[in-house]
Amino acid sequence: MSFTKILLVTVFCFGLSAPSLSAQDSSPENSIVRVNATLQSYSFLRPWEKGAPTPRRGLGALLSDNRVLITAEMCVNSTFLELEHPSSGARVPAKIAGMDYEANLAVLEPANSDTDVFKGLTPLELGSSTKAGDKLDVWQIEDNGDGVSTEVEVLRVTVGRYFIPDSVFMMYQVKGSLQSRVNSFTLPVIKGGKLAGMLLSYSSKEQTANILPTPIIEKFLADLEDGDYKGFPNLGISFSQTLDETLRDFVGIKGKDGGIFVRNIAKEGSADKAGIKKGDVILSIDGHPIDSRGNYEHAEYGKLSFSHIVRGDAQTGDVVKVEVIRDGEPMSIDVELARKLPENYLIDPYMFDRGPKYLIFGGLIFQELTLPYLQSWGDEWPNRAPFKLVHANANPEPFEEEGREKLVFLSNVLKTPSTLGYESINSAIITDVNGQTVKNIKDLARAISTPPADGIHVIEFSDFPKIIYVDDRASKVVNQQLTNYGIGQLQRLE
Amino acid sequence: MKALNPFFFRSTLIVSLLLAANTASVLAQTTSAPAPGPRLAPATETPVLVPGPITPPTAPSADVTIPESQQADISEIDFDAIVRVEVDTKQPNFRVPWNIGGMGSGNGTGFLIGPNRFLTNAHVVSNSRLIYIKKVSDPKPYKARVVNVAHDCDLALLELESDTEFDSAFKDLTPLYIGGLPKLNTTVVAVGYPIGGERISVTRGVVSRIDFRAYSHSSVDNHLAIQVDAAINPGNSGGPVLQNNQVVGVAFQGYSGSVAQNTGYMIPVPVIERFLKDVEDGSYDHYVDIATSLLNILNPAQRRALGLPNDGIGVMVAVADASGSAGGILETKDVLLSIDGHPIASDGFIEIEGERVDLNEVIERKFAGDTVDLEIWRDGSRKEIVLELKRFIPYLIQASQYDKLPNFVLYAGLQFQPLDRNMMAAHSVTDLETRYFYNYYSQDELYRERPQVIALTEVLPDTTNTHLQPYVHKVVDEINGKKIRLLQDVFDAFHGDFHEEGHEDYHVVRLIGEGRPLVLKRKESAIAHERVKAKYNVGFDHFIEEPEILQLKDLFDEDGEEINPEKEEEETPAAEVEEEKKAA
Repeated sequence: MSFTKILLVTVFCFGLSAPSLSAQDSSPENSIVRVNATLQSYSFLRPWEKGAPTPRRGLGALLSDNRVLITAEMCVNSTFLELEHPSSGARVPAKIAGMDYEANLAVLEPANSDTDVFKGLTPLELGSSTKAGDKLDVWQIEDNGDGVSTEVEVLRVTVGRYFIPDSVFMMYQVKGSLQSRVNSFTLPVIKGGKLAGMLLSYSSKEQTANILPTPIIEKFLADLEDGDYKGFPNLGISFSQTLDETLRDFVGIKGKDGGIFVRNIAKEGSADKAGIKKGDVILSIDGHPIDSRGNYEHAEYGKLSFSHIVRGDAQTGDVVKVEVIRDGEPMSIDVELARKLPENYLIDPYMFDRGPKYLIFGGLIFQELTLPYLQSWGDEWPNRAPFKLVHANANPEPFEEEGREKLVFLSNVLKTPSTLGYESINSAIITDVNGQTVKNIKDLARAISTPPADGIHVIEFSDFPKIIYVDDRASKVVNQQLTNYGIGQLQRLE
Repeated sequence: MKALNPFFFRSTLIVSLLLAANTASVLAQTTSAPAPGPRLAPATETPVLVPGPITPPTAPSADVTIPESQQADISEIDFDAIVRVEVDTKQPNFRVPWNIGGMGSGNGTGFLIGPNRFLTNAHVVSNSRLIYIKKVSDPKPYKARVVNVAHDCDLALLELESDTEFDSAFKDLTPLYIGGLPKLNTTVVAVGYPIGGERISVTRGVVSRIDFRAYSHSSVDNHLAIQVDAAINPGNSGGPVLQNNQVVGVAFQGYSGSVAQNTGYMIPVPVIERFLKDVEDGSYDHYVDIATSLLNILNPAQRRALGLPNDGIGVMVAVADASGSAGGILETKDVLLSIDGHPIASDGFIEIEGERVDLNEVIERKFAGDTVDLEIWRDGSRKEIVLELKRFIPYLIQASQYDKLPNFVLYAGLQFQPLDRNMMAAHSVTDLETRYFYNYYSQDELYRERPQVIALTEVLPDTTNTHLQPYVHKVVDEINGKKIRLLQDVFDAFHGDFHEEGHEDYHVVRLIGEGRPLVLKRKESAIAHERVKAKYNVGFDHFIEEPEILQLKDLFDEDGEEINPEKEEEETPAAEVEEEKKAA
């Protein structure tokens, strides 16, 4: 994540030196809207805190009805959003009309709908699809409001990561030289006067950029139409290629057939619910044969990862036919495509726009484990974060089988009269509180709100120290002191 | 002791090992001793070793009343009894296990402590091929060998191979006398052969601190150690640290100058004497351990909940490791009240001989098979428990191995090795699941199912296995349907009559945490095996020995369940719980 960030911050500043002005009807200064965002991330290590606010500026594409399309990353954890007229500089506060962090797209609108700030600007239409070799224009705006357009060439159409790790979509890889000047996230990319995509990242060293393409934007906007956003579905498998001839023989792949070997299945994902099993070989999805590298032949783009069949061509709720080989025998499975929301994972793979759930009791800090918590240890988090928690993140199955919804753990202990002797305990996974099983932080809050008759709470862990006891009254006194001390909120359960 | 105990402060700093220094402590007038062997007793009569308490009861140990000039006195020490130990080593190659390994050399110090017995550090003579002993006044190197080595406390006993040579060169020397624990801020003198020159060196300093700390040679052991500010440098290792003409420690480790200045460490007399007593019977039986993690009882609510009086006594059992001395005997929430009659304070300290020390100090002084009396508090009543002490085996997975050849099985280019510290380091293993098995082998009792955890450590590329390279470093679950609990299982699974149901034509390797099986065609593998051996210069394709860690294999069955002794009622295995009626 921070790699992307660096790319974006250092590299995504474009001005231009030798731009060719677009000859189209719609030109940058006519169809671009500046977006000014103030972002403030939540602290996962000190969950009652938020970090320092930081500004971010980007360029959005003006769509019909005063809607402005922008990448979701542009307004992640935003506290304040503004839309700015490209030439006049007039600003209006904005609100988010729709957002999808996985697809990295957001639609903003003026907070006050009867504004005429964008009067005279020309909304962009969505363009048709793009192929390798096509020329695209990346639009930018100079400080003085003049538009700038830089031509780039599409190298290939592929599938890659946008913003959220492990969440891949179709993208264009383009080559071209973009100049940086104004610190600016996200730039509209145009083909023939119509929106071809949004620029995601640019490498000044390679002079290549990744572009979030129109087909994904189209699906996102269409999904938003009815007010019931469903999002992009996911199959929920991890696979390995079947290039190994011995493996092909072993699993019964015939002749030159392709197929991917299912290594693992995400619990409660689309594949799991439909009954696809670890060890199956997927031969085709929705009628598209999958080759042994995991690609299929797309009518327009050529070879593309099979994931685009699910994420690009199908909708959440669609049923696709999946042909598999199981135990050497071919069979066909209907899979209803669903999207698994981050909050439905044992350990949230990402969490934005809200803080982590936590509860402080007498100095004991309880939390629900999330991937961002582990990522608080920096790029090297798999080696630096508490090992047991890192391991749990990679192996949630045993916890899920116990019926846990979330992994509640004692993240740290503040030294207080109530926690005397427990100061060195941290990162310990909770099993029970006052004899009640803890499946999520609300269970814990409930259990701890009703002290046992002797006024001593019993907290049990899966590992060392196994069990600790804290006094109810002493803890409540401490709670009061902590509030006085400046911890504004002792819990966040929603 | 072992890493489980939360009472121990474990420094994350790497303690750099010093190469040997040597000194010989000797018992006065030991020449009449009939049998070779070190002696500890200060007595002049017979070479009887002091039994019982480990600290020498009446040894004329240093005392604060001794003037400083006398503390630093080493005038009675015969420098010829402090010898230079020169060692040619062979470092086993855990990366390419069939190679004989790299040759090297080093030197340290040792000292005469009895008839043909020299004491030095284990790390001075680890992985040795040849050992020579030289004294100050004599250019001749005398060929020596290891009599006993204790990697868990970094001590070793050496002897000259030739008794005749010993008699002619050393017999008339007075062995060094082993004293007691020096006091803080008293002067000590380190003697040895550190870097900076060829001849013997003497440095002086004071006792800075006496505390439990990590012994870096094994990477996993903690014992009492004494910090001194005398310069101790590579080459000092194994040498005596003296006070008032007696040995008060063996120099063994220190920090590199970039970490801390003037901090050298020596192995104190209680550890030396324990080692010497342990090897009296000819073999070293290692330290014992109660293998129990404990929690202080400092919290008033915890004290009330456990029903304890408010007397500042007791520590709570968190986990007693199943394969340790207290496995199946101590339970979570038990409170240890006293150990061998010493009341245990709520921070885990006890008082011995007027000093507050960690309760483990009692265990530190015991030997395999000894017992320890515990008074515990369980469910509101007192109980007496007698624990029979034994070595804790599982922690060895993280211990550095010495004087051992790497164990491995190679088949058709797939190389399998058991998880241990040397293997993990040699292959720079970063795989999360494999690190889990390594880090939590002991704590999560993973040894129940897999006494030896076997990883695929290398794929020597061949046309038959070229797609399997990405799966190196992963832990092996099954091969050909046989669950892999020992390295021997790997060999048997490939060479014996094992196959997966319906997959008779294949060798099938199943890994933990990886859904894709590794498959080889049987009829191609035998030829591939020979081809790989020839191409990669593989001298031998497996080496399997019974490592210490395998003592665990008979404790648990295939599913990790405990194998009970047949007559359970009659033979209460390790310990006896007395006064069982009270529990009822």
